Amino acid sequence: MEVTHPLELFPGCSVTVLLFTGVKNAAALRKKAMEGSIEGALINPAMIVDPFQILVAANKAVHLHKIGKMKTRTLYAEIIFSLSPNNNISDAFKKFGISDSDTAVLIVLVADREKPVNLEDIASQVEGQQVSLEELSQLTDTAKVKKMYKVTPQEEKIGTLLDSIVCRMSTKDVL
Amino acid sequence: MAAAEAGACGLSSGMAVAGGPAMDGPGPGPEPEPEASAAGPAMPEPEAGSAGPVVAEAPPPALPGLRLVQQGAEARVYRGLFLGRAAVAKLRIPKRYRHPALEERLSRRRTAQEARSLLRCRRAGIPAPVVYFVDHVTNSIYLEDIVDSVTVQDHINSVQQSGNDTSSLLTLAEKMGELLARMHDEDLIHGDLTTSNILLRPPMEKLDLVLIDFGLSFISGLPEDKGVDLYVLEKAFLSAHPDTEAMFKTLLKTYAATSKKSGPVIKRLDEVRLRGRKRSMIG
Repeated sequence: MEVTHPLELFPGCSVTVLLFTGVKNAAALRKKAMEGSIEGALINPAMIVDPFQILVAANKAVHLHKIGKMKTRTLYAEIIFSLSPNNNISDAFKKFGISDSDTAVLIVLVADREKPVNLEDIASQVEGQQVSLEELSQLTDTAKVKKMYKVTPQEEKIGTLLDSIVCRMSTKDVL
Repeated sequence: MAAAEAGACGLSSGMAVAGGPAMDGPGPGPEPEPEASAAGPAMPEPEAGSAGPVVAEAPPPALPGLRLVQQGAEARVYRGLFLGRAAVAKLRIPKRYRHPALEERLSRRRTAQEARSLLRCRRAGIPAPVVYFVDHVTNSIYLEDIVDSVTVQDHINSVQQSGNDTSSLLTLAEKMGELLARMHDEDLIHGDLTTSNILLRPPMEKLDLVLIDFGLSFISGLPEDKGVDLYVLEKAFLSAHPDTEAMFKTLLKTYAATSKKSGPVIKRLDEVRLRGRKRSMIG
């Protein structure tokens, strides 16, 4: 169902990704996320092509969190920001965060030794069906993703869309 | 330990520190210096000058299946699984003979250049590994591992040794020329072009090339820089692979045909050749 992967560079930390469809309370969830009462990042699945994309964003967010150099205020906000190809925080939330009318929601949780992950707690707050992450590809809006990340046609010949996205995410702050 | 010290001190004390960076200043008898501590964090060095920020040496990352692939002058290269994918981790080796402030700045700049150049290549459709993560603290970079790839150097050597089908090498040279032309047309200078920095993705017959190691790369539109880039490759080529003059000639021919701005570059290359080592400087 959900996918959990350890973060090799941060022993003890792991990332769990859950996907929900038929979500009815997106607006309420978004409000809770803004207040910080949800221990997770709420992401719009249309902008995600593969769980690896989430892992890369989470890895970067945890790294910045550990060295105290996050650009946003919370780890979960940082994950959403890391997904964005540019440095505009509010734009990142708008494009990669969920909106009130969304019916599908992707939730990312980060657990470490002190704070184990509580799946039931999160799942109970969502008024929707948890589905396997294999369904993610059906929810992806490839055209929107290509536009957001400004993928060039030459680039598509030398690698997958995921490759282009990950490259931009990881080199965003060096440019 | 005592015996070694006695022996060392007996001869020339200066020589005893052979191999390690000469950290101890003019002092009586070198103390047994901690061996180039591969994995240990840097200790505060009692330097004669000001103690600037000490550059931390990154310990090998805890990636599953980690193996040290190579130790170059600049960095240690490891292979392992990163977030479930085959990855290469390049951890920079701090050069302790440099002043720490310079070392930090240089390390950071090189890592940034590498990341930037890799992205630039991708955007232009030039095959290069995908960047997964850049760690600015240790100046390490985690990239895609091109699995089962072979360096062009190894490929040329094996083809030459097996003695058959050297005409495929000419096609390879054409592909290389084309790739480099496209790279230079993006005003990207590799800086360290050698046959071990170009990989062949399997299957080998497809001649699918990938450029790696952009640590010394920079952006420039000058024919001088492009000419020097090609000259570096020429030197590396001819010294590593005897009897490949025809190959390099083909490479240049394809380069000139593919690149729109090749005229001045080739001209510059000829001029650079006249400079070089052991060449007369008559202008």
